[in-house]
Amino acid sequence: MLIAALSLMLAAAVLAPLAAGRLGRRTGYPLAAVFLITAGALLVGAPEVMAGGVVEVSLPWVPELGVELTLRLNGLALLFAMLVLGVGALIMSYAPQYLSEDYEHARLYGILTLFAAGMLGLVLAGDVVLLLVMWELTTLCSFLLVGGRGTDGARPATQALVVTGAGGLALLGAVVLLAVGTGSTDVATILATAPQALSARELTIVGALVVLAAFTKSAQLPFHFWLPGAMVAITPVSAYLHAATLVKGGIYLLLLFSPLFAENPVWHLTLMAVGLTTMLFGAFQALLQHDLKALLAYSTVSQLGFMVALVGVGTAASLAAATLLVAAHALFKATLFMLVGIIDHEAGSRDIRRIGGLWRAMPVTAGLTALAAMSMAGIPPLVGFVAKEEAFYAFLGTSQATWTADTAVSGALAAGLAVVGAALTFAYSARIIVGAFAGPLVQTNLYEPKAAFLAPAAVPAILGLVLGLVPFVLNGIVDRAVVDTGFTATEAGLALWHGFSAALGLSATAIGLGILIHLRRNRPAILAEAVAPAMLGPILFDRAWSALLGFGARVGRGAHALTTAPHLGGILVVLLGLAGAGALTISDLAPMRPGTAQPADWVVLAVLLPAVLALARAGDGMAALVLAGTVGLVIAAWLMVLGAPDVALTLLLVEVLTVVVAAPVLARLPDRRGDRTGRRALVGSGLAGLLAGAVVLVMTGRRERSAAAEYYLAEALPATGGSNVVNTILVDFRGLDTLGEIVVLAAAALGLLSVAGRRAASGWQPGRAGTLGAGELLVLRVGALVVLPLTAAAALVLFLRGHDQPGGGFIAGLLAGSALAVARMSGIEVRLPSVPVLVSTGLLLALAAAGIGLVWGGSLLEPIKVSLPLVGEVSTSLLFDLGVVVVVVGLVQAALANLAGDSGRAGPPAAAAPLAARTAVPARSGPPAVTEVAP
Amino acid sequence: MTLALAVAALTAVGIWLVLRGGAVRLIVGFVLLGHAANLMLIAAGGTDRREAALTGQVEPALAADPLPQAFVLTAIVITFGLTVYLLWLAPRAEEAAGPGDWPPEGSP
Repeated sequence: MLIAALSLMLAAAVLAPLAAGRLGRRTGYPLAAVFLITAGALLVGAPEVMAGGVVEVSLPWVPELGVELTLRLNGLALLFAMLVLGVGALIMSYAPQYLSEDYEHARLYGILTLFAAGMLGLVLAGDVVLLLVMWELTTLCSFLLVGGRGTDGARPATQALVVTGAGGLALLGAVVLLAVGTGSTDVATILATAPQALSARELTIVGALVVLAAFTKSAQLPFHFWLPGAMVAITPVSAYLHAATLVKGGIYLLLLFSPLFAENPVWHLTLMAVGLTTMLFGAFQALLQHDLKALLAYSTVSQLGFMVALVGVGTAASLAAATLLVAAHALFKATLFMLVGIIDHEAGSRDIRRIGGLWRAMPVTAGLTALAAMSMAGIPPLVGFVAKEEAFYAFLGTSQATWTADTAVSGALAAGLAVVGAALTFAYSARIIVGAFAGPLVQTNLYEPKAAFLAPAAVPAILGLVLGLVPFVLNGIVDRAVVDTGFTATEAGLALWHGFSAALGLSATAIGLGILIHLRRNRPAILAEAVAPAMLGPILFDRAWSALLGFGARVGRGAHALTTAPHLGGILVVLLGLAGAGALTISDLAPMRPGTAQPADWVVLAVLLPAVLALARAGDGMAALVLAGTVGLVIAAWLMVLGAPDVALTLLLVEVLTVVVAAPVLARLPDRRGDRTGRRALVGSGLAGLLAGAVVLVMTGRRERSAAAEYYLAEALPATGGSNVVNTILVDFRGLDTLGEIVVLAAAALGLLSVAGRRAASGWQPGRAGTLGAGELLVLRVGALVVLPLTAAAALVLFLRGHDQPGGGFIAGLLAGSALAVARMSGIEVRLPSVPVLVSTGLLLALAAAGIGLVWGGSLLEPIKVSLPLVGEVSTSLLFDLGVVVVVVGLVQAALANLAGDSGRAGPPAAAAPLAARTAVPARSGPPAVTEVAP
Repeated sequence: MTLALAVAALTAVGIWLVLRGGAVRLIVGFVLLGHAANLMLIAAGGTDRREAALTGQVEPALAADPLPQAFVLTAIVITFGLTVYLLWLAPRAEEAAGPGDWPPEGSP
C-alpha cells in the first residue's frame, strides 16, 4: 500500500505535465483528487498505526550495499504524510483559480507534484539512503519552483539551493557515518544500535551534521535568509513549500533522530538556544515588514524556531507540543498564504499600508484571514492556542528531561523567551488583521472572490477552529508520534481548558504583552537596531559566494588568454615541480654504461646544437623551416648511427614531406623576429631544458637491455616469422597499439578535410611560395617522370621487405606520399581515390587483418600464415601493414591537397586556368574526389 | 651525455618558442619538442648497443632495444599529423591576431 501510494504520486508527477497540455491551469483539480486518493491509501494503514503497530514494506534496491527501498508508516510519518497530502490537495485546488491562463502550467504542476512525492517519500523513508535521496529531491524541486519565474528568481533560488544543498551534504555525511558505524542503512536499526556502535565523538559529529542539515532546511539562524528570499515564488508554491511542508523537513529530521541524542545536553541546548533566538528574531522581523508575504515568511522563520526549541527540550510533553505545532502551523500558515494571494489577486497589492478596510468589500476573505491570524496569535479557542499552551507547559517542564539530570537547567528562562516570542507573534498577527482590515476601504471595485477560490483557504481555517474546540481528537496521533521519537508511553491529554495553570498564565501574559507591543507598533526603529547583528548570515553568505565565484574566475582566466603562455605556463610549472620533487628521491645511481656516448655523437651534436639554438631566434617562416629541416635531418642521421634505421627512414621522409607541406604556408606568415621577449618564458624554458637534460643524464643509459627488449629480440622470428624486430612489434606484437595510431592519423586526415571545407568562409587562400618559370618547370617535370616510377618501386620494395629488413608500412606510405608531393610540384596528375576512401580502406584492411587473426587464430591481430603460389608464405600482418600504408598515403594526400595549395606551379595561363577551376571546387563542395593536379 | 645535451637544447628551445607564441614559433616549437621526446625514448632504451634489431643479421648481444624504436616511429608519424594540423591553423591564428607584436599588448 505504501509503495502504491508513492508510485501513484510519482506517476502523477510524470503525467501532470501531459495533462496540463490539455487541461491548462485546471490540472490542479485532478491532482488534488490524486493527493486525496493517496492520503486514503495511507489511511488504510492508520488503524494499525494507531494501535501501536508499524506498516512497513521493503524492496531490494542496492543489494550489494545492503540498501533497501524501505517505506515505513508510523505515527510520526502518518502525521507528516497527512499534512503533505492534505495541504497539497488544498493547494492543488487553489492553484487553478490563482494562476493565469498563460502560466507555464505543465512545468509548475509537474514539479509541484514531484515535490509532493519527494516530501511523502522523505517522511515515509525507512532507509537513510532513501531519506537522503528524497531530501535532495525536495531541495531541487524548491530550487526549480523558486527560480521558475524569469530572472527575478535566479538569485534567491541559487541562495536557497546553496544553503539547503550544503545542508544536504551535511546529511550525506551523517548518513555515511551512521551507515558505516552501524553496518546498516535501515533507520530503525540505526536508531537502535548507533548509541552502542558509534563512539561518543562520532555520535557528536553525526549530531552536528544532522543539526546543520535541519537548520538549513528549516531556516534557522544564521541560515534563515533564504526563506524570505524564496518568496519570489508564486503564492501556491510559497504556501505549500515554504510554509506548510518543505521547511518542516528539518523539524521532521530532528524528530526522527532525536532518540539518538536523548542524553546529550549539547544537542538539546543547541536546539533550544538557536530555536528560541530564531523565534525572537523572526518575530521581530515580521513586525517590521510591510509586505504581507514577507511578514508571513519571517513569521514562518519564527514559528520554525519555536518548533526547533520544543524538539530541543526533549520531554514527551515538548515533543507532543512540537508535533501539534507542526500541524497547527501548517493549517493557519497555508490559509494565510492563500488568503494573501487572494488579496494580492483582487486588490493588486500586498503592502499592508496600501490596503485597508477590506472586510467591507470582502467579508468572507476578511473573516477567514482573521480566523487564521488568531490561531497564529494563540487566541482561544483556536488550535494555535492549544499548541502554544502545550508549548509553554513543555518549556516549564524542561527540568524533567533526562538530559538535565546532571545540570541545573530550569525551563523558566526558555518559557520566558517563548512568552516574549508569542507576544511578538500576537503583535504581528494583529498587524495583519488591523492593518489590512480596519479603517476605511481604500480601493474601489473590490468584490468577494468566488467560492472556488476561497474554499481551499476556508477548509484549513475552519479546521483550525474545530480542532481548537475538540483538540482531544488529536491525542491518539500525537501520542503515537511521541512514542516514535523515543518515549515509551505518554498521555498527551490535549484540551482547550486545563484549568488555571501556569501555562494559562503564560498564555495570558503573552497576549497582554502582545497587545502592548501592538499599541506601540509605530516605533519600529528600536526594533531594527535590536536585530541588526542577526543580519550577519546573509552578509557572510554573499561574501563567501562572491569569493567562490571570484576564485573560479581566477582559475578560469588563463583559458581566456589569446597567447599560449597562460595556457601552458601552469602545466609547465607543475611539471617542473613534480620533476623537482622526484629528483629529491633519487639515490644510488648505477654507473653510466660504457659506450653510451661515442665520438660520432659529438660530431652530430656539433651540427645539431647550433641549428637548434639558432631556431630560438626564429621568426621568419622560411628561415625557421630550413633550420628545422636541418635539425630533423641531423637527428635522422643520428638515429641511423644509433641503430634505428626504420626510425631514421621515417623521420627523413617526414622531414621531406613537412618541408613540402609547410613551405607555402610559412612563406606567407608574418616575420616576427622583432617581437618583444618575455623574461619569464626565457627562465621557464631554460629550466625545463636543464631538467629534461638532467632526466636523460640521470635516468637513462645505466642499465642492461630491458626484459621486454630481450623478449622481442628472442621471440620475433619464431613467433611472427619476421626478422625486423621493430616492424614485428608494430604489426604483430603491439598491433592493437598501431591500429589505434592509424585511427589517430585517419582522424587527422578527415579532420583536415572537414576544417578545410570552411576555408572559403575564413577568406584565407593558400599562397604561392614563388613562381617557377616555364623552363624550370619543364626540368622539374622531366626529372619527376624519371623519379616517380623509381620512388613507387622503392616504396613497394620497402613495404614488402619490411617484416625482415628496414622498411614497412609507415615508411612505404611516407615514401609514396613523397612521390605524390613531387608529382604535385611538377604538375603531374596522379589519380587516387579521395581521402575519405583512402583512410577508410586503410582502416578496413587493418581491421580485416585483425579479424582474420580473431577467427582463425583465436585472438585479435594474431598473425596467420598462408602459402600462396608464386609468392610463398605470407602473413596476415602484411595485410595489416598494407592498411597502414593506405592510411598514411591518405594523410599525406589530405595535407597536400589542403595546405600546399597550388604553390610552386606556374606556367602559361592556359594551363593555370583549368587548374584554378579545379581547386575552387573543393572549397565549395568539401572533399575533392580526385587529386587536383594540373596535367 | 650527448643525448642529454641534445634533449636539453631541444626542450629549452621548443618550450621557449611555444611560450612566445606566434604561428611560426608555435609550429617549430612543437616539432622540436617532438624531437626531444623521441630522443628521450631512444635514450631510455640505452645507446651502448647500436646494431639494428634485425634477427639473424647482427650479433644479438649488440642489437639496440627495439621497443622504444617502435614507439618513436609511430610518434614521428603522429607528430607529422599534428604539424599538418597546426599548419592549417597557423595562418588563421595570425589573421585573427592581426598585425603587431606577439603576444599582443595588454593580454594577461
